Amino acid sequence: MATQLRLSVNGTRQTVNVDPDTPLLFVLRNELKLTGPKMGCGMAQCGACAVLLDGKEIRTCITPVSGVEGKQITTIEGLPALWAQEKGLSAAAGQGTLHPVQQAWIDEQVPQCGYCQSGMMMVAVQLLSKNPNPSVDQIKDAFTNAPPSPHLCRCGTYSAIIDAVQRAAQAMRGGAL
Amino acid sequence: MTYKIERRGTPAFSAKISRRGFVKTGGALFVSLALPLRLATRALVAENSNSIDPTLPESWLEIHSDNTIVARTGRTETGVGITGYYPQTIAEELNVRPEAITLIMGDTDRTPDGGYSAGFLNGMTNVRKVAAYTYQALVGLAATHMGVPVSSLSVTDGVVTGGGKKITYGELVQGQHLELKIPMKGALPRPDPTGEVGMTSMDGLTVTGDPPMKAPKDFKVIGTSFPAGHIPDKVTGKTKWSCDVTLPGMLHARMVRPATMGSTLVSVGTFDKKQFPTAEVVRKENLLAVVSPNEWEVVQAAQSVGDSTKWTEWAGLPGSENVTKAIRAHKWVKASESKGKAGETKSALESAAKKISATYEQGYVRHAPIGPFVAVADVNSDGNVMVWTHSAQSQGLRARIAYVLSVPVEKVVVRWMDHAGQYGRTTFGGDGAEADAAILSKLTGKPVRVQWTLPEDLAWSSVSPAWVSDMTASVDRKGQIVAMHSAHYAPHMEDPRPLGALLAGMPSATSKPDAWVATEWPYDKIVNRLEEAYGMPNLAGDSAYGGLRGNIMRTPGQRQQNFALEGFINEAAATAGADPIEYRLAHTTNERLINLLRATAEAANWESRPSPHHSARRSGSTAVTGRGACIMIRSNAYWVGIAEVSLVPNTGSLKVTNFTIGCEPGKIINPRQLDRCMKSGVVMGLSEALKEEVTFDNSKVTSTDWSRYKILTMSEIPQIKVVQLSRDDKGFGGGSEAANALVPPAVAAALFDATGVRARRIPLTPKYVNSLLKA
Repeated sequence: MATQLRLSVNGTRQTVNVDPDTPLLFVLRNELKLTGPKMGCGMAQCGACAVLLDGKEIRTCITPVSGVEGKQITTIEGLPALWAQEKGLSAAAGQGTLHPVQQAWIDEQVPQCGYCQSGMMMVAVQLLSKNPNPSVDQIKDAFTNAPPSPHLCRCGTYSAIIDAVQRAAQAMRGGAL
Repeated sequence: MTYKIERRGTPAFSAKISRRGFVKTGGALFVSLALPLRLATRALVAENSNSIDPTLPESWLEIHSDNTIVARTGRTETGVGITGYYPQTIAEELNVRPEAITLIMGDTDRTPDGGYSAGFLNGMTNVRKVAAYTYQALVGLAATHMGVPVSSLSVTDGVVTGGGKKITYGELVQGQHLELKIPMKGALPRPDPTGEVGMTSMDGLTVTGDPPMKAPKDFKVIGTSFPAGHIPDKVTGKTKWSCDVTLPGMLHARMVRPATMGSTLVSVGTFDKKQFPTAEVVRKENLLAVVSPNEWEVVQAAQSVGDSTKWTEWAGLPGSENVTKAIRAHKWVKASESKGKAGETKSALESAAKKISATYEQGYVRHAPIGPFVAVADVNSDGNVMVWTHSAQSQGLRARIAYVLSVPVEKVVVRWMDHAGQYGRTTFGGDGAEADAAILSKLTGKPVRVQWTLPEDLAWSSVSPAWVSDMTASVDRKGQIVAMHSAHYAPHMEDPRPLGALLAGMPSATSKPDAWVATEWPYDKIVNRLEEAYGMPNLAGDSAYGGLRGNIMRTPGQRQQNFALEGFINEAAATAGADPIEYRLAHTTNERLINLLRATAEAANWESRPSPHHSARRSGSTAVTGRGACIMIRSNAYWVGIAEVSLVPNTGSLKVTNFTIGCEPGKIINPRQLDRCMKSGVVMGLSEALKEEVTFDNSKVTSTDWSRYKILTMSEIPQIKVVQLSRDDKGFGGGSEAANALVPPAVAAALFDATGVRARRIPLTPKYVNSLLKA
């Protein structure tokens, strides 16, 4: 039965009228038109659908929308605002800025097909929020061993991702590139 | 106005520019085809109500009065960088900045040429010539406008300078509607059941003639790492992907697939209409789906229908553990392709001082994108068909959909959008969700979006077939190879029939199950060689839906045949007691290959010695290490791969610690993009070398999720070192595939170096490596 639910997505309050068991992925994509997160395996085995929930990665393909009420959801569309907030930038200034992770993904030319990269950037943002200077092994660990599954890329961009995470880390620490 | 282009002592070429009229605002030069069939094509397009701009459906290039440029190609971004190197190539010949160019790709009604996206060399040559013709026309216009001879003009960033005057390209076309016709040959694809892959004109149109083009020494944009244009919108979420298409009244669909690969429908299952009030079952023959405007409702209702649908039993597969045995058991008669000298090779093998032979093999693997197939189709009551998709062959897909629905090709429009990489499975315009969507749209009268699930994709999409290869060589007293015979056997690898059509009993066309010799022979000192390729039908090919439909996958044919060839060269080197790289150098006089072998070996700190290593062992609880090499020539590009491995013999768990990959593709267009393709190719190849195999029992595929079809994770990647050699005198070569194929032979050779054990099959799983070590 459709129920009215209140969500907080990318800093904006949203009301949706859906079956509470609907996977968050369908609500984000079909109701809120946030198409950054992608439908991958549908069983939390690949990471293409990942978003941040209160700063921690979740897999939206298996998360019922009813379970995320009252929590902050961040998709790649909301990364610039997240960064603006962290840096204390005005909303207007924030709109013209990319999150350093996004900028690094562009500068290092990470995406090939790009389908998995929204989820990959979520891992990067979460990792860098805890560890401002991760080693290659720590990056590999974060993308491989954190539950519920490794983040998979079929094009094989893993080494570009490692380069980009390190570039973003440097930018976020305020270092010259 | 007709303008005759000045000749500069180059081979003859011709292109005509004409003024179609004057316009009050703006102005543009449109570059289009000069084909006899142009009028006919245009008339057909003009009748087609789906066409966006019937007056200009085919322009390659448009120079606008605001100095912006639009380039169009039917080929598409598959993740290997076309959005970078196409603008680079066009900008180079036009003398503009690549940023000025907007690229429109893949839409059958808005692009001129057709062709498949893996066809890098043909496609790039086309746009380069288009730009070269256009440049000639523009400087001609400028010369007339400025009253200065062409020979005294120069162009930088779209500004023509000469005789103390300057004018921009935009100003040259201001207020005019100009058209430049350039010579072409070829045709757009049409369905043809007797054609090579079930259609004609795989490669679409080709620009002919020889317009003057820049010498590599004058390149300013080619050779730089211009960024691929598709990336910024992908990392911000702005890209509209094929999975993002929504249309008014659109239905979501989930397919209910047969219980086995050969089952037919007995009775359609049910769902609770009260619980899922908007869901409906749609069926045509064995094509079964549930549709609803609500995606979550359709997911649940389809689950219920699937659980209660009855299918006939069927068991016609050999089981994946027996697959190469089944291929061997086929009654092979005649090679579908042979290369080399049959008589000389056979007699040289018979009179050999010493003969060596070996057999190589691999089970089925698959493309396995992270995003399963998805497509939206809208079949109107007047018979017009729109399809939104991500096929790597839009025009080919258009022809196939027209064939499935029995409508003229002109009735079908395919719009291309980004999606997960396909790695070759859509190159023939077949495999995908498009036929499902088109059939369901026709049945329901509404636009339908079909989203396959991962288990469905890993079970029902086409596959890269298993294969076996028999290698025989004779060697002289020094161990030098005198003659070599290779015979490659594989099921059908070019079956592009769409599953939806097969299930619904609608028309679909495929090719003969022929195989081809994919190797580009690198060892010119082995004069007596015979290469043969044998094809057979799909496994269970005579079952209702064609069994395991074989398809090409990145570096097709050559990936498999090179594992056999390079594995065998490594065996011959070991037999001769020679260093594997020195041994290769001793069998070729090809300067490009020799240079790259030396450069890559040096980058990898290669120590010249025979394999296996003197401390190699096959048991023990401490690690042993080894290294191995292989080479490949593909599409005017030279490749070398060097793997370094470490393993603890008692566990059989193989770790690839380092991989050095070298490439010389003639002139490198975009070094960073090539770097990305080389490194990602190593990852994909390592995944295949260590982990991948499609498993199936007697009736169905069983490797239907990521825990059963395992691919490489980030923690398993080696340190990858890239060696690039660029040269100006050999044209352009293909860099977007081949890298993956360099990995399995090099890793198998490194395993031999470390343990003395020869692996002639992949994947090198711990179980398989253990069985070799303990044998």
